[in-house]
Amino acid sequence: MPRLAVEIFVIANLGFLALDVFIAHEVNAFERWPEWIPFYFSLAAPLLLVIGLFLRRAHTALSFLVGWCSLAVGIAGMVFHLQSHFFGEETLKSLVYTAPFIAPLAYAGLGLLLIMDRMTDSESIEWAQWVVFLALGGFAGNFVLSLADHAQNGFFNRAEWIPVVAAALGCAFLLVVVTRPDDRTLLRATVTVMVVEMIVGAAGFAYHLRGNLAQPSPRLWDRFLYGAPIFAPLLFANLALLALLGIWALTRSRSGAPAPSPVPA
Amino acid sequence: MRSFRSVFIAVVIAAAMVVAAFMLNSRRPRTETDQPSAANVRAGGKCAECHSRETPAIVHEYQMSKHAEKGVNCLDCHGLNPGQERLDHRGFVLAKHLTAANCAKCHATQYRQFLRSRHAAPAWAAVLGPQGFTAEQIAFSEQYHPGGVNRKANPVAMLEGSVPTAGGCQTCHAVGRPNSDGSIGTCTNCHARHAASVALARLPETCGQCHMGPDHSQIEIYHESKHGVLFNAQRASMHLDAPSRTLTARDMPVPTCATCHMSGLEGMGVTHDTSERLSWYLFAEISTHRPNYGMAQTNMKEICLKCHTRPRIEEYYAQAEQQINSTNAIITQAKAIIDGMHASGKLDAKPLNEPLEFTYFNMWHYDGRTSKHGAFMGGADFVQWHGNYELAAKLIELQHASQGGEAGH
Repeated sequence: MPRLAVEIFVIANLGFLALDVFIAHEVNAFERWPEWIPFYFSLAAPLLLVIGLFLRRAHTALSFLVGWCSLAVGIAGMVFHLQSHFFGEETLKSLVYTAPFIAPLAYAGLGLLLIMDRMTDSESIEWAQWVVFLALGGFAGNFVLSLADHAQNGFFNRAEWIPVVAAALGCAFLLVVVTRPDDRTLLRATVTVMVVEMIVGAAGFAYHLRGNLAQPSPRLWDRFLYGAPIFAPLLFANLALLALLGIWALTRSRSGAPAPSPVPA
Repeated sequence: MRSFRSVFIAVVIAAAMVVAAFMLNSRRPRTETDQPSAANVRAGGKCAECHSRETPAIVHEYQMSKHAEKGVNCLDCHGLNPGQERLDHRGFVLAKHLTAANCAKCHATQYRQFLRSRHAAPAWAAVLGPQGFTAEQIAFSEQYHPGGVNRKANPVAMLEGSVPTAGGCQTCHAVGRPNSDGSIGTCTNCHARHAASVALARLPETCGQCHMGPDHSQIEIYHESKHGVLFNAQRASMHLDAPSRTLTARDMPVPTCATCHMSGLEGMGVTHDTSERLSWYLFAEISTHRPNYGMAQTNMKEICLKCHTRPRIEEYYAQAEQQINSTNAIITQAKAIIDGMHASGKLDAKPLNEPLEFTYFNMWHYDGRTSKHGAFMGGADFVQWHGNYELAAKLIELQHASQGGEAGH
């Protein structure tokens, strides 16, 4: 069951990235043709994975195909984004306002999740640890991005510190869960933290939505194109969901599984 | 116990990350972390969020302005008007270049007054002639300033070419340039852009940006005059930003250029037609009355009366008009000599290609103007040494050349 849930999670995320990438690259008016690659990949990949769910023989092959391609798209995207002038100026402003080189790693993370899913026994504690570890990676990215983006905004509203604190909590609890997967009290506390992360994500979405709607741009679309990134806060809820899947798998695997290794292999 | 230790470790790690984030943020430069005020964000909207860091000086200028005080926001001025080139900027549609039309949306009366002045179309035409103006614009301006726009391009500008003209003449004369949106001129020459300041427009130095130098040395004359000396002594106690409609002699007990030429001092009507109180074409080769001579002189004398008695004003005007007549007489003599040399073939017909032609040009364009402006503005040294002395010396030079000296020596 956790495996199916994780696969559905990957399908939904890859599909949603099509919209996210479209908005992000529309700001750049898709100036270079490679900017279309992640968009079309995000349209095709979920279809292939859905087909794989119904074709048992091709399931693993399709998952690997999409997984490796997703990894390639993520790494290639990061390399393309590295051309941004942040590395020339090395200022926070250039980091925030140029192509975000961390963003394409979402593809890499989803690709790794698929590959790991196929390479590891989904009933093992190792599989669950990997899921939690990848959620931890996501929260680490969230910590950096929410800090950098809101710092660039000068923490205009004190509420902008909330995602920084939330991401730090997410990172810290998941890090300890990865190293101590059999600690029930810790798992319960982490579940609570992840629920809080979901609330933070929803509140962030509402804040960004309200801010964008209040903008004086003449067109509604422009308010979202150039305003606060509307979907970014939902990443908290998304990663919390992935972490909860990992914790669920941890609790299931612990009953009959062999003793876990302290750190994922 | 181990369980709680795990939670404790997680909380400590999270706290360390948050403290590190706080410390990083607190070490950032003030220029990056300072926020626009709530009032500024309300007025400037989205613009202030970025421009407080991208171009902080103009935001600060705006914050100090009356526009900010009244809640006029960035888009009120920078919005696109019909006929203006469009600029798409981070989701906002802006005018690529602002013109007087943008200001006229709120300040229509001032713009109409300005259109009647020589600061409008005649200012630009003084350099490049009527090119760029529509037939309607030319006809409108010619009602008030016959020959002001329907004229040839300036021979000096043609002689010097486009580069010095663009960087020199046109910078000041752009105050009356024809704009692509059908409007004329720019208000920012006098009021600046984001400061949008009436106090700035009342400063003599603002007028002196253009009204200076040998050909129109008003700022130098002003600073020599008692008006200028008193202004420099008392400027700290003057209220240059007082509202135009209720301006009193208490706000500005000493006149600046704007006081005499534009302001609504002590109940007088304020005007952006800088020609409204001028009775003579002092800049001209041979000065003549302006079409509204009588009314203009009455208007100006009304301002003089705020400080001076009528007999003193009449005496002053009479003396200044004597100076005009004297200068006209000298220039007429000089012109007769030059015309005679052209007629006799000593000078060819091409303008400004021989030294004597420059001598004559300097006489009326520099020395003649200076003597007349000096007489009206209380600049004795400019009447005498920078004006009449130069006129006398150059007239003798022309007479000598015409009576036997080498042509064009």
